[in-house]
Amino acid sequence: MSFAERHVLETLVYLPMLTAAVLVMLPFGWRALARWISIGSALALLLASLYVFFVFDRSAEGFQLVRVLPWFEPLGIDFRLGVDGLAVLMVLLTGIVAFSGAIIAANVERETKSYYVLLFILIAGVYGTFVSIDLFFFFFFYELAIVPMYLLIGVWGSSSTFKDFDRPKEYGAMKLVLMIVAASLLVWVAIIVMYNEAGLGTFSIPALSEFARSGGEGGGPGFSPQFQRVVFPLVMVGFGLLAGLWPLHTWSPDGHVAAPTTVSMLHAGVLMKLGAFGIIRVGMLLLPEGMQDWALVLFVLGTVNVIYGAISAMAQTDLKYVVGYSSVSHMGYVLMGIATMDPVGITGASLQMFSHGVMTALFFAVVGAIYERTHTRDILVLNGLASRMGWITAFFVIAGLTSLGLPGLSGFIAELLVFVGAFRTQPVLGVLGVIGAAITAVYILRLVARVFFGERSTEWDGLKDLTAREGFAMGALVVPILLVGVYPGPFLDVIAPGVDLVLAALEG
Amino acid sequence: MEQAWLIPLYGVIAFAVLALFRGFLPWQGKHLSLLAALAAFVTFWPVLFDMVGRGVGLYHFPRDWFTAGDLSVGWGIIVDPLTVVMLGLVTFVALAVQVYSLSYMRHHGADDPRIGWYYAVHSLFAASMLVLVLADNLLLLYVGWELVGLCSYLLIGFWHERPAAAEAAKKAFITTRLGDVGLLIGIVLLVVEFGTFDIGTIMAGVADGGANGAVVTASAFLIFLGAMGKSAQFPLHVWLPDAMEGPTPVSALIHAATMVVAGVFLVARLFPLYEAVGSAQLAIAAVGIVTVFVGASLALVETDLKRILAYSTVSHLGFMMLALGAGSLTAAIFHLLTHGIAKAMLFLAAGSIMHAMDGQTDIRRMGGLRKRMPVTAAAFTLGALALSGIPPLSAFWSKDEILVAVAGGLHPAFLVALLAAIALSALYMARTLRLVFFGELSRENERVRESPLPMVGPLAVLGALTVGIGVLALPLGGGYEGIGSFLYDAVGGPHPFELNVLWTVVGTTLAVGGLGTGWWLYDSRPDLVAAVRTRLSGVHRVLVERLYMDAAYQWTIDQVVLRVSRGLALFDRRIVNEGAVDGTGRVVMETGKRLRYHVTGVFSDYGSAMVAGVGVVALLLWLRA
Repeated sequence: MSFAERHVLETLVYLPMLTAAVLVMLPFGWRALARWISIGSALALLLASLYVFFVFDRSAEGFQLVRVLPWFEPLGIDFRLGVDGLAVLMVLLTGIVAFSGAIIAANVERETKSYYVLLFILIAGVYGTFVSIDLFFFFFFYELAIVPMYLLIGVWGSSSTFKDFDRPKEYGAMKLVLMIVAASLLVWVAIIVMYNEAGLGTFSIPALSEFARSGGEGGGPGFSPQFQRVVFPLVMVGFGLLAGLWPLHTWSPDGHVAAPTTVSMLHAGVLMKLGAFGIIRVGMLLLPEGMQDWALVLFVLGTVNVIYGAISAMAQTDLKYVVGYSSVSHMGYVLMGIATMDPVGITGASLQMFSHGVMTALFFAVVGAIYERTHTRDILVLNGLASRMGWITAFFVIAGLTSLGLPGLSGFIAELLVFVGAFRTQPVLGVLGVIGAAITAVYILRLVARVFFGERSTEWDGLKDLTAREGFAMGALVVPILLVGVYPGPFLDVIAPGVDLVLAALEG
Repeated sequence: MEQAWLIPLYGVIAFAVLALFRGFLPWQGKHLSLLAALAAFVTFWPVLFDMVGRGVGLYHFPRDWFTAGDLSVGWGIIVDPLTVVMLGLVTFVALAVQVYSLSYMRHHGADDPRIGWYYAVHSLFAASMLVLVLADNLLLLYVGWELVGLCSYLLIGFWHERPAAAEAAKKAFITTRLGDVGLLIGIVLLVVEFGTFDIGTIMAGVADGGANGAVVTASAFLIFLGAMGKSAQFPLHVWLPDAMEGPTPVSALIHAATMVVAGVFLVARLFPLYEAVGSAQLAIAAVGIVTVFVGASLALVETDLKRILAYSTVSHLGFMMLALGAGSLTAAIFHLLTHGIAKAMLFLAAGSIMHAMDGQTDIRRMGGLRKRMPVTAAAFTLGALALSGIPPLSAFWSKDEILVAVAGGLHPAFLVALLAAIALSALYMARTLRLVFFGELSRENERVRESPLPMVGPLAVLGALTVGIGVLALPLGGGYEGIGSFLYDAVGGPHPFELNVLWTVVGTTLAVGGLGTGWWLYDSRPDLVAAVRTRLSGVHRVLVERLYMDAAYQWTIDQVVLRVSRGLALFDRRIVNEGAVDGTGRVVMETGKRLRYHVTGVFSDYGSAMVAGVGVVALLLWLRA
């Protein structure tokens, strides 16, 4: 391994922490410098992520770029880093969304420096989770990514008053963090229990996965079927909540309505993926038989997510609620794809994680830009914006078309693969999935027609379109959407070895 | 022939350049789009001659796209007679319409401020349509299918400040999407069954008979749902008349000649599937004939020129489906071709009138226009006569083929209905012709002038084709043995054009009779028309209200869909969120509050609790021992 290969994964974790530390030490007034340091650091992270994407060997098996730094030997905890195909894609996703988000965040006027500090702690947590192959650090970074949310939403968020209910920002922040932390306790319990049951004295995921496959008597599965059946639901619910699993999804719409733009972008774009990633990494890899026992439940819940989220989105009148519920709906496809346990289905789920991440970040970026200009997100009040804000309209429509599965954009390929997997295993649920995509078309197009088209009220006459900087940030999100839609090969090739890893575990 | 993949490429490039850089180009780069259309049309010819030279047949040029799991997808192309006919029609009409738009999209001498975007989407449309007809696999076909739908959406909503246009665009997209749910499910079912997207392999597998019959049948029906949406078949036809909110050249290209026939093309492309599933074929015929009548009768009472043409399109798409249902791919695709040219011309003529009359589309405000717009009037008349089935104009030949096919392949009831439909089609055409171009010129229209050359030029070319294209039915030499030997399905096989005297005479008589009756009624006996209208006021009202279908759909959306969705959203907020989730929080909080009172701070309380605790533990240990 070259020097760069040896250290790139660490860099992904250290650099955001370092950035946060540097920003902390910066005097308060130096706002411009804080912005440039942040954007520069995000760019460096994006380049490092791209490096991981390109250096990853698509034909090799197992974890790559592995690096082990002993940390606490009595318990067998190491700072152990490595990536498989799925993690590589998530690293790239994080790089893209964090870069775009850091640029958008430059619009924040209040306490800019502290905002960026918390943002980079969050980014460090996300990267750490994706590249850790030690359960202890996996969990540590998972929690690290969640905690800054509370302050980010509580301080920089926005409170909303609706016709018959209020959503103060503190409410959204509290709900989001409490629900996710409560669920993560289940995951923590599952991790400790697996550590004890395996009795290997290590938290290493490769070692535990090897044990799960062949650590038992006569080379059989290491964890007994009963054990897996009991522990898997902890993992499924614990991580599933962060992926928006119905009926534990309600933190998502409320949280997003309160959150500032960049936080929504990172949260829906990347953090929700941690949940699905956790189910695959911990659930499928370490508890394959438990996965098989619970697959149908996950499948049904995922389908409920798709339909329930889409129908709920149709009735919303706040742009952020629409996008929030649409995330609930789209994450359903990820859960469905995972539950197929089929090579095409899991590939689709992985690609959908990436596609949804970029798409929803674009959605929130656009909605944020509209809110900054009009000071409302009410669909019933906004109208005819296209004639004043061509670029904003274009970006929203691109995100919308991605979400309704238009060919040529990333969502289509991902959802199609999920459908193929679903029809191979549970055709009836597959049909419901396709119907969900049609409902998406209804609410997206209704919204576009109402908000962007039609006659414009005079109060929107003075609106300004995107600045070049905002346009650049959003354009950076459109590139991967188009790339995956037109030329998905390189992305699918990266996923393939990761899927093989999971399938090997499932087949025992 | 391999270069056929270049044909869509020009449009893709033109779209990409215009979408990103139109602001920096002279005239917003509209000539670039024109150039792409021209290049596509020019490239079509070598493909055609190569095909005729090498021998008519199916040429497959596979190419890899991506692999996901155990599924490989290609983006290769098929070049066969069906594709070639579509390539010719699409590239030609696209070019004609783009030339026409040069003038039409100018208002008071200045280009529409968004003209670059208009041409960009035109290019993307042509490219997507060409991808759709060239695709060798169902995924690529679906890509083209959805992208033409997107372009249709963008162009219907081109003047998006107009609420009606925004509404119509949305309606078109959503209605066709409804059909596409079926299409996508059908495709995925076939893919899961046969393990590939490749059309050739799937069709071979279907013909083989080894596949799961239920799956094949289900996918045949489901895929036809998609075709119904796109090709505006009853009851999914409602979007097409509204789509007339788009600029008229768009109506000519997308909503008459090309995109709306995609459904017909799809069934033709997957014809072996429908030959294998007889029930689906019968369903196609039934939907087709119903659509013919719905379209024709709604056209009869409509007063908006463009909407009349739209209903006429609906009706003719029904004819094509009927032909497919009767098992004649030749008749369907031949009619697709002749109708495409004639209807594009009719729309361009209508656009010419609108251009001259400041956007007027109400035929009650017209009349006598032939005196001011001779070329437009001639073109419109030619198109109307052709579509009524008057020899030797284009659609006469294809209609004859349809008659022969229906007489030979379907229950006689279909034949009777078809004959009645032919008369009805001629009737509404005669009405339109009479009310728009003949009679007295009203005073307000005195200043109407014929449109400029870029508009009447395409009309003249399309007119010449409408007169001449019927000869394609006959053997022309040079390896071309007539449409029936060029374009045929595997089961029917090649067959020469047969001039069945009986059906020709009957069909032509009915057409002439329909035209004559229509002319007589609307020219000499308007009183009789009024009398019929009063007499059948109930029927008239139902027709004017478009069979109440738009109202019914709207009611379903407002009263059912939106209510359910609002109910669910309320359930989510009140029950799931504020009830279950916040409730859990409240329970914890309340428990804490209650327990708080037991923390008294009095030493003796703690002491007694401790003693009690020790007692319980001791008791448990004693019991265990």
